[in-house]
Amino acid sequence: MTRLRMFRSLMLALLRELADEAAYQRHLAAKDCAHSPDEWRKFSDERLRAKYFRPKCC
Amino acid sequence: MPLTTSEPAAASGKLKRFLGQLIWAAVAVVAAFSLGAMAVNRGEHINSAWLVLAAVCTYMIGFRFYARFIAARVMALDNQRATPAERLENGHDFEPTNKWILFGHHFAAIAGPGPLVGPVLAAQFGYLPGTLWIIIGAVVGGAVQDFVILFASMRRDGKSLGKMAREEIGKLGGFVALLTVLLIMIILLAVVALVVVNALAGSPWGTFTIAATMPIALFMGWYLRYRRPGKVLECSAIGFVLVLAAIFAGQWVAQSHTWAPVFTLSAVALAFAITLYGFLASALPVWLLLAPRDYLSTFVKLGVIFLLAAGIVFVRPELELPAFTRFTDGNGPIFAGKIFPFCFITIACGAISGFHSLISSGTTPKMITKEWHAWPVGYGAMLLESLVAVMAMIAACVMHPGVYFAVNSPAGIVGGTPAAAVATISSWGFPVSVAEMQQLAHTVGEQTLFYRTGGAPSLALGMAHIFAHSGGGRAVIGFWYHFAIMFEALFILTVIDAGTRVGRFMLQDVLGHVHPALGRTSWMPGVLMTSGAVVVAWGYFLYQGVRDPLGGINSLWPLFGIANQLLATIALCVATTILIKMHRARYIWITGLPLLWLVTVTFTAAWQKIFSPMPRIGFLAQARQLQATLGSGARIAETQALIFNARLDAVVCGVFMILVAIILVDSLRIWAGIFAGSRTSQVLEAPFVLSRLSTEEA
Repeated sequence: MTRLRMFRSLMLALLRELADEAAYQRHLAAKDCAHSPDEWRKFSDERLRAKYFRPKCC
Repeated sequence: MPLTTSEPAAASGKLKRFLGQLIWAAVAVVAAFSLGAMAVNRGEHINSAWLVLAAVCTYMIGFRFYARFIAARVMALDNQRATPAERLENGHDFEPTNKWILFGHHFAAIAGPGPLVGPVLAAQFGYLPGTLWIIIGAVVGGAVQDFVILFASMRRDGKSLGKMAREEIGKLGGFVALLTVLLIMIILLAVVALVVVNALAGSPWGTFTIAATMPIALFMGWYLRYRRPGKVLECSAIGFVLVLAAIFAGQWVAQSHTWAPVFTLSAVALAFAITLYGFLASALPVWLLLAPRDYLSTFVKLGVIFLLAAGIVFVRPELELPAFTRFTDGNGPIFAGKIFPFCFITIACGAISGFHSLISSGTTPKMITKEWHAWPVGYGAMLLESLVAVMAMIAACVMHPGVYFAVNSPAGIVGGTPAAAVATISSWGFPVSVAEMQQLAHTVGEQTLFYRTGGAPSLALGMAHIFAHSGGGRAVIGFWYHFAIMFEALFILTVIDAGTRVGRFMLQDVLGHVHPALGRTSWMPGVLMTSGAVVVAWGYFLYQGVRDPLGGINSLWPLFGIANQLLATIALCVATTILIKMHRARYIWITGLPLLWLVTVTFTAAWQKIFSPMPRIGFLAQARQLQATLGSGARIAETQALIFNARLDAVVCGVFMILVAIILVDSLRIWAGIFAGSRTSQVLEAPFVLSRLSTEEA
């Protein structure tokens, strides 16, 4: 049961990482600020700019 | 004599070691037996479980022994050494990440359409050659490349392949790497767009579903930006539900007398539509269309791969295609050419992919917490990708061979009418009837399944077959077929829009040296112009493929395969150079042998594609044959265009060969200099810093 819970939390963490939600939390922590629509937009713009500078795999 | 306290522990350790050795010996025996069962089986249908078992057991052996040997003896991975993620942690790119999360992240980044489409096309040789190459190629080639490049980048603060090529080999190497990526992207975008076009042409259900993903993506973009900022998972879940609704609505559209004609588009119309889409996605703000579609596509991709794996394990279907077909002689209808070198070129990403080296030297090295995590992430993720390729091969081979060839063969080879096509295919020893094809098309909600080249429809048919047998039966096969088409098209379109955008940035980077304004990503005329240039470049090859009477895939997929393997050649040159500089020359065979193999394959394939006297293989022979028909006076303009295209393809192929030669000669010069002592073998790694993260923390 514990392993199942660990697996579930790992999967959830992976989904959050893929969704950039984990990166956003890190961004908030690093900047020591709270979530706001403007902060998300600022983070998202920076993140996506960097992300789409790199080619996607075939 | 009384036992000391350490003796029972030592005895228990010995027993554990012995049991471990016994288990690994059993895995090795199962791997050998499954590979043997696959290889010696003739004339009878083989169960797909053998392929899965052979693959998984071989991967386990490769991972546990070969990769561990590379990690410990060759790279000397050291968990005491702080990684860039720890030393340069900034909350953005550099971030120590749990190894399994990073594994998933890396796998999601390397998994593209290549390992799904390539094996389906290579199945024309039968299931055996492709499957063997997917398994063996990944263990000794692809995974090694990914692993070594990841290690090299990790030791160099996460530097990109281009930067490492420039530093380790020379400025020329760096420039060639950049040029190669740009050229590959153009061919890649054209060929994957062709796969989508061929899957959607004449299919109102599929076209409607994919068209509906555009407004869905726009809605998601708005939702994420203004309605619920930051809620990506929630937004993607809503997007997924809407896409599922679009698949159901697509069936209604296909049956509607009013709407079906609106969404029944020719290949040419679809090619223009996709080209326009690529332009818009490149020029529009990234948050509006590209990013929400990319999030959704990533989740759908991982979900479907998991579903397919579960379906294959649950159903364990029999393979209908034989181990070898008659097309090992090089006269295959899907693409022409013998097993060597074309099977290896066609499989491409499922066994070894140059593009992976861009990911291994991109985000991943900046997120590794401990050096030993590179072992599962770099090597292990490629093995999983290879397993996906094996599953695609299974999905293609569960179809009746006659159906497989009827779906994948172009009209120019099998005949322009269904009756002619089935007669030709049946004469090859793969019986199929028009009624059977009509029945199948009706079951999956399509008007026809003839001449659906490109691999996507046959992969969708195979997947639908497996999913439907897992539950629901024939009643749901139409839904699963269109679900699979949606899944393939969704992430192919993501590759197209992201690729066009990246190509635009690369072009802006180059043009910025000529005219600074063109290099500014905020200057709209420059954005529109460079987006247009990239779209025209791949759009031209796409249009060429659509108009090709041989189906386009015959010309474009080998070009893409050659280009991709060329990038792998560059990556392996960099990897070999680094090993030599690390004074690991005695292990040079680890990257040297895959490199030698790739050079042989790439050069042979490129040479044959240019100079083979067979018009279906050699571009120049094809141009000569077309030239000879010009005198007859029919369709002069069209024939001239085909001649130009064949010559253009020959030039592109020639450029690829020259690029391989340049990078190889440059690398050989460096290696010879180091061995002769005339060149210093300076290791350009970041200095050693003791890690402060404990293993438990990692």
